[in-house]
Amino acid sequence: MRRSSGDAGAWLIAGLAAVSLALLLGLLGLLLKAGLAPFWPAQVDEIRLRDGSVVLGEIVVADAVALALRTSELERIGGAYRRVPRDEIAAQSQPPDADLIVLDDGRRLYARGDADALVAQAGGAVSSHVQPNALGFFARVAAAMRGLAHFLGSAPVASNLEGGVLPALIGTVTLVLLMSLVAMPLGVATAIYLHQRRGFGLRLVRGAINQLAGMPAIVYGVLGLGLFVHGIGAGIDRWFYADRLPVPTFGSGGLLWAALTLALLTLPVVVVSVEEGLARIPAGLREGSLALGATRDETLWKLLLPAARPALLTGLVLAVARAAGSVAPLMLVGVVKLAPALPLDGTFPYLHPSQQFMHLGFAVYDAALASPDAIRGVPRAYACAGLLVGVVIVLNLSAILLRNRLRDRYRALES
Amino acid sequence: MNAAFQSLPPSAASSVVVEETALRTEALSLWYGKRQALSDIDLDVPARRITALIGPSGCGKSSLLRCLNRLNDEIAEARVAGRVRVGEIDAYAKDTLVHDLRRRVGMVFQKPNPFPLSIHDNVAYGLRLLGIKRRRELDERIESALKAAALWDEVSSRLDDSALELSLGQQQRLVIARAIAVEPEVLLLDEPASALDPAATLRFEELLHELAQRYTLLLVTHNMQQAARVSHYAAFLHEGRLVEFGDTDALFTNPRVRQTEDFITGRYG
Amino acid sequence: MPANPATCDRFLSQDFVRHAARRRARRERLRAGLVLAGTAVVLTGLLAIPLYLIGALLPWPHLPAEIGARLGVLLAGSARAAACAIAVALPLGLATAMFSAHYAAPRLRAWLKPGLEILDAVPTVVLGLIAAATLAPWLKLHVATVLALLAIVPLALLAAGMAFGARVRREGWLPLWLLPLLLALVVAATAIAARSEAPAIVPTMPWNAALVGLALGVAALPTVFSVAEDALFLVPRAQSQAAFALGATRWQALTTVLLPAAGSGLVAAALLGLSRCLGETMIVLMASGNTPIGGFDPLAGLRSLSAELALGLPEAAPDGAAWHGLLLAALLLLALTMALSLIADAVRERLRRRLRSGGSAT
Repeated sequence: MRRSSGDAGAWLIAGLAAVSLALLLGLLGLLLKAGLAPFWPAQVDEIRLRDGSVVLGEIVVADAVALALRTSELERIGGAYRRVPRDEIAAQSQPPDADLIVLDDGRRLYARGDADALVAQAGGAVSSHVQPNALGFFARVAAAMRGLAHFLGSAPVASNLEGGVLPALIGTVTLVLLMSLVAMPLGVATAIYLHQRRGFGLRLVRGAINQLAGMPAIVYGVLGLGLFVHGIGAGIDRWFYADRLPVPTFGSGGLLWAALTLALLTLPVVVVSVEEGLARIPAGLREGSLALGATRDETLWKLLLPAARPALLTGLVLAVARAAGSVAPLMLVGVVKLAPALPLDGTFPYLHPSQQFMHLGFAVYDAALASPDAIRGVPRAYACAGLLVGVVIVLNLSAILLRNRLRDRYRALES
Repeated sequence: MNAAFQSLPPSAASSVVVEETALRTEALSLWYGKRQALSDIDLDVPARRITALIGPSGCGKSSLLRCLNRLNDEIAEARVAGRVRVGEIDAYAKDTLVHDLRRRVGMVFQKPNPFPLSIHDNVAYGLRLLGIKRRRELDERIESALKAAALWDEVSSRLDDSALELSLGQQQRLVIARAIAVEPEVLLLDEPASALDPAATLRFEELLHELAQRYTLLLVTHNMQQAARVSHYAAFLHEGRLVEFGDTDALFTNPRVRQTEDFITGRYG
Repeated sequence: MPANPATCDRFLSQDFVRHAARRRARRERLRAGLVLAGTAVVLTGLLAIPLYLIGALLPWPHLPAEIGARLGVLLAGSARAAACAIAVALPLGLATAMFSAHYAAPRLRAWLKPGLEILDAVPTVVLGLIAAATLAPWLKLHVATVLALLAIVPLALLAAGMAFGARVRREGWLPLWLLPLLLALVVAATAIAARSEAPAIVPTMPWNAALVGLALGVAALPTVFSVAEDALFLVPRAQSQAAFALGATRWQALTTVLLPAAGSGLVAAALLGLSRCLGETMIVLMASGNTPIGGFDPLAGLRSLSAELALGLPEAAPDGAAWHGLLLAALLLLALTMALSLIADAVRERLRRRLRSGGSAT
């Protein structure tokens, strides 16, 4: 009796573990599916109603009582959704000769036969023209790939409803690079300090860093806004850009302040992983180097840091992953829905640290909640989310692999 | 603790007449926190000879070695009193640069600790620290160091392989080559053969004899036979004190202090 | 000084060596200075956050009374969201940790830990998206289904354990076997619920605390898991081996040896999970509706301290009353999360010390 009740407890625990596993797998599966779905060429449906009229378009929502279709957007984007109750439908088909025309401004037109007339009526340049129902499987895959490439490599149109995410991608990468430039040297220096010191001061510094690592991200944003933007930034403006006031230069959110805020946010990650890497190096190596007449400093730079290179890389990768995924602090220090210019471009001085920027994570938030066209917004948000999670997972996996390699290397040293 | 040893005058402990001293300690004491690890060690280590440090475990042999190249500085609670002279310099003087001292006093550890670099770079490590960068000069010195450590024939064709791929015996000889590349005056050896198999140990002992023609060797060993086989002089330490120091043959065949005799004959230890 | 014959045949001249040694000593001092400076910058930067918040609020501003009341509502909102989230994260996280540390086959454990690390790395804005766009419409129809599953799943697991447990000697891969069964259960429950005309329980609002709790719980799950797993794994193997040697089953070893020994670690896991839930912004921002509603209704919307900061600060003029109110909210949030993680650290430190000193399990 005792035995079987114990087994039941084990099954309960295993079941809950299975739920955790299901959550993880379900999450990743959902992101994969929903993230790629926007690129898969949709079918064009032709629906004949009982009153004899014909509706041509893409089914975007289907529930028990009605269908919602996107029909030709002759005037503006998002302005031609049509709800069709199921009991009014007489016939539904997917004619292979139906055309899908995407205009340069993101509008979509659905036609059968008289495509040119429709384009002329809508006005605007044609960006692509396909007959999606006629495509075979491989043609669909190719079309999805083209869609993905377009998404990654072009700028958004129609206030982020259509088009690509290139500016957001560039904004994210520039931000994270700038953040790493600040966080890595400082983090490594702190890790070295912690590694070399003993005693009370060390415990204090380490405790402070551990505590600060647990601070909510939004609070870092508050510091970024209050101290960096309104404090230092406004000061810089008063001293150096007085002629432009009251238009702020550094006195409003921008790339530099966002990078500094994120650097603070990710510093504990760098410090902890570098210090761990240094601590794991066998003491014999350090003593061997000192006994050869190396100074502590030479031992560190010539032997310990090179040996802990994977740990440095792990720290960097984890910091980048954390920075790429944190959106909340950015909302306070300069991320915008649509930036007029890229923070990184061909005009001197190439990097514009005071400029506002777009960000992939913020694009998710914006498309999901603030989109004027919710039917386009959610799939677009998922596409951005899939991209973001893909990047972050790749970064984390490489950090895990690096860590395992580091462990193997130290094991080789120990034996 | 035996009161009889404390009353022995220092001169009785070190009655060796040496023509030249490479390393000398005067009233050297060492504390780890409150625990005293060494008390008033007076020792003259003869140049270009092998001096063995013997004694039961925990008697302070390794601690003594680590005082001589100031490796104990790395331990926060370690405190040293007394003097250590290496050649003409005072190891603990204010203006002595620790890293310069450690270059003069090389050290080989119990466990081979090659760096995770190539064989070549392991030996080049100390030379590069000194600012020697020219490839030809480095190569020459690496070759002569490896030859002096009796390793050249085995590794000359694979200098760029990782040092971690060598056998333990080879690794220990590599560590010696690394140490003598920077031309130390004294080599401290902390039970260098304890990780080696008997064949490698024998080979290693031969190497020590060759090295003794150019360097002063101070060898800590647990192995009485090894001390008797290899060393010219021997010092017996007990509970942080130097009990007896003398010619190895004399010390092993005719110890002047009973405690030394008890230890050598294996009555304790 | 007599010439040392041993140095006669040497390459390195004494002058060269002495010179190099001086140069290197200078370089060492310089680099040590740089390291110290870097550390000082880091500490200043990190300490600047609490110091700035306190400094900006001094001298203590006279805040209108309604700001105090609003802070109260926001605090209640944060607490309600965190309570719902921890109700999800705690059972799942602790159970997964217990399974991973005590039952899991080493190969499954080697996948489980990085897997949950990956889950930890998923940006919270993505979880917010899933909650707002996918979960919210589903939950609107299926509150009753969720409640039913909450009752059925544990009972079904216990029953299955009673029935088949004695036949399965090794539980190392059990979750993978249970996974399809659980999925089938969820699908069946959803299908049954879909056959009825109207949902049995209709949430007060489509965006509500329960929805936030589900997404936030998933975000906090890895934190709870990894802290608890570390604590359980820290208990020396010998202790559970000793229990086995006395004839204990795995379950008995877990409940009588491992859990008491690692108890404070599990408490720390809960506290850190709670701290994470309180501070999280994006999920709450996207899934809570952001309506400042007090009370305890898990099916009503809420507005949290963190969401208030994200929405209010960009609009607030520096040094206005609203600005000061928001800074006060930030300080409150900071104090809450720091207090939780300080307690968690103290608890964890006690555990570590006790296990290191080889203290007894009970």
